[in-house]
Amino acid sequence: MKELISEKLFDNIRFHTVREERFKTFRLSAAFYVPLSADTVSKYALLTRILLRTCEKYPDFTALSKKLSALYGATLSADVFKAGDRLGLLFSVSGLDDRYALNSESVSKELSQLLCEIIFRPKLKDGVFDLSELALAKRELVDMIDSEFNDKRIYALQRATAVMCAGEPFAAPRLGAKDDVDTISAEELYTAWQKLISSARVEIFYVGESAPDQAKETFRNIFSEVKRENPALSNTVVRKVGEVKIVFEEMELSQSKMILGFRTDCAEPDDDVTAFRLMTAVLGGTAHSKLFNNVREKLSLCYYCAARYNRTKGILTVDSGVETDNIDKAKDAILKEIEDMKNGIITDFEIESAKMSVINSFNEMNDSAIAIEGWYLSQVFDQSMLTAEALSEKINAVTKDEIISAAKKLSLDTVYALKGVAKEDEV
Amino acid sequence: MNIKEIRSDRVGESYFEIDHPSGLKIFVYPKEGYNSTYAIFGTHYGSIHNSFRKNGGDVITVPDGIAHFLEHKLFECEEGDAFARYAKTGANANAYTSFDRTCYLFSCTDRFEESFEILLDFVTKPYFTDETVQKEQGIIGQEIKMYDDSPDWCCMFNMLSKMYEHHPVRIDIAGTVDSIAKITPDYLYSCYNTFYNLHNMALTVVGNIDVDTVLSVADRMLKKSEDNTVESFFEEEPEGVSDHFVEQKMPVGLPIFNLGFKEKSDRLLTTEEIAYTDILLVMLASQNSPMYRDLLDSGLINSSFSHEFFEGEGFCVTIFGGESREPEKAAEKIKEYIRKTKEQGLDPEDFEIAKRAVYGENLAAFNSVAGIANAMMDNYFSKRELYSYIEAVANATFADVSDRLNTLMNEDKAVLSVVRS
Repeated sequence: MKELISEKLFDNIRFHTVREERFKTFRLSAAFYVPLSADTVSKYALLTRILLRTCEKYPDFTALSKKLSALYGATLSADVFKAGDRLGLLFSVSGLDDRYALNSESVSKELSQLLCEIIFRPKLKDGVFDLSELALAKRELVDMIDSEFNDKRIYALQRATAVMCAGEPFAAPRLGAKDDVDTISAEELYTAWQKLISSARVEIFYVGESAPDQAKETFRNIFSEVKRENPALSNTVVRKVGEVKIVFEEMELSQSKMILGFRTDCAEPDDDVTAFRLMTAVLGGTAHSKLFNNVREKLSLCYYCAARYNRTKGILTVDSGVETDNIDKAKDAILKEIEDMKNGIITDFEIESAKMSVINSFNEMNDSAIAIEGWYLSQVFDQSMLTAEALSEKINAVTKDEIISAAKKLSLDTVYALKGVAKEDEV
Repeated sequence: MNIKEIRSDRVGESYFEIDHPSGLKIFVYPKEGYNSTYAIFGTHYGSIHNSFRKNGGDVITVPDGIAHFLEHKLFECEEGDAFARYAKTGANANAYTSFDRTCYLFSCTDRFEESFEILLDFVTKPYFTDETVQKEQGIIGQEIKMYDDSPDWCCMFNMLSKMYEHHPVRIDIAGTVDSIAKITPDYLYSCYNTFYNLHNMALTVVGNIDVDTVLSVADRMLKKSEDNTVESFFEEEPEGVSDHFVEQKMPVGLPIFNLGFKEKSDRLLTTEEIAYTDILLVMLASQNSPMYRDLLDSGLINSSFSHEFFEGEGFCVTIFGGESREPEKAAEKIKEYIRKTKEQGLDPEDFEIAKRAVYGENLAAFNSVAGIANAMMDNYFSKRELYSYIEAVANATFADVSDRLNTLMNEDKAVLSVVRS
């Protein structure tokens, strides 16, 4: 993987470049980080919706869409994500590399400018966001919130996080609460936008063949006109567990979802994070992990049963799809695998195969622009940004003892289940 | 052995098509500078091939969901499970079953030859026993239940079941808990021996790879396969649909709908017909279109709205769908726009824009080794060629696409499927 070339444009604003000639497309993204808080999360989520619809230059949704299609089906997207107790807003464009344009037009130049127009030159009316645009953006956001409910795996994970992290900013769902959306006024939203531009930490990524100078200068010029404050970003890691929280909720479902949440006492920038990542893979990160082999294959208890580790928050979750009658059995089986790891019952083969699998997935990242961007984006708050090769070396150096020590740090914090119950008319 | 290089100046790349002496068709697509290699070993056998005969013998009818079940079971070998073998190479392995094919795949960045050997080995060595079949019924039962809770999945299959009275495309790919209970090792062996013949299969390898490496392993691993004739049978299907509306209740945040049109399907379409259809649907239903705008402004759809077109032996479907608070109204409006567009004709300016969008999106698809490998498999089983699609898009005319409009989306054959709480 090529190393990132990073340049500081201003305090708290960096421009990162990865020159890659292998792809037919280029990608440019700007990530804005603000403090995560239940009070503001809806506003920021709403901002991504409204900014994406129109801008001063293309004040009409259809005109903007046509422009993107005419630029060879270029994509413009915006999303919100949680990075620990920080909320990230990611605005991206992706389009055909200039080499492939049918009439030798410069797609990259036009798209870079368009991304800046979208973020910095919104369509306004009387100095605030246009009310008709606001209404449509609100509807879109409410639909997105409702739609996350449709995927019960995502929904259950969200609920489990809310239970486990109650009282922490991280408990807030990334899109905010439906009831809050309705109350946001055009003025409040405009203030949130100003706050975003003036005080977010900004990380801009360019992956592509042609020189990124155009994009870089466009951002530099725009930010030179902005009066900036320091972003007040922080992140807390809860290291100790009190009483285990047990929450069961019921819904008309064929399959129940169970999530076990653990505190790990291990988070960035601790030294043992790499060992913890490998421990997670051995436990439930691959198709030959302990959970996959034993809970799914040998015991046939779950269709899926996977572990994931949030190294920013120091949280490990095991999520599973399980027959309602088997919830307790599956829970015991998962906890037994973890006990085994704490007791050192781990084979060399399990370690070696997890290492190979993790390193393989790292190296595969290098074959896609969006994955390269994601790779570096996920390290923004780390002490240094490593290439896939550099991190692979660290993974390879992890010993069995370090894996056991990592497993020993797991303490169960929350048991959450979305229990499937039969429809009333079927009882 | 016949090795043919197929080049595209437009894409700036080429691939190799190989007629292997074993009877297998092999495609090798080197991607310069890529770390990973993606290999798929697939058979032209999917959930719709429920009734068949080999070499003119007796017609056999098998339980629904057996192709998918076989996919799961093939991972088990006498020496243990294929995943455990891949664990020694670090490859990322998987498999999937669709309406008309079953594919086994892996991707890797190292030790390709070892992983490739595992792939060719376990797919050509079936091992089914009563005990292992029984165990799998539990795991697949859970998988079926997971899909039963997926509103999108249910919405589509409910639609297909009203659209097709007999054709097995109407049945969930994994079958039902009841149908898979009927599966036995004997059934699995008869399906395997019919469809997992190298003449009925294909292999695609894309990425950090060359022809010699692929052949050195394939030559060693693949035994010559007899060229059997395989026939699949489908009951005669009425032209129309059995019902125009179907609804299911389940807990959803907001309702989901699919408005589908049953299309003529007496043969597989040509590359050109597919290209024109794709451009047409972008003109009609993408974010640029007047229809999209109207639906959005009226609050009848959100950005989840999308369209889809797919076909196979004996089925062909155009679908518009997404989330909607008022699915019936959304469907009416879509039908109205289709009617109006058929009367008034398409807009030439919209055509130019849509053509560029489809062109750019297709070219971008060549970034992905997985995308290329799957597209080559799809093209081969549909008797089409990979690069001819982008040529067909680049050469499409307004008249071509306008002609296509008149043959598609007949309101008499529409089905609206809704899932709501």
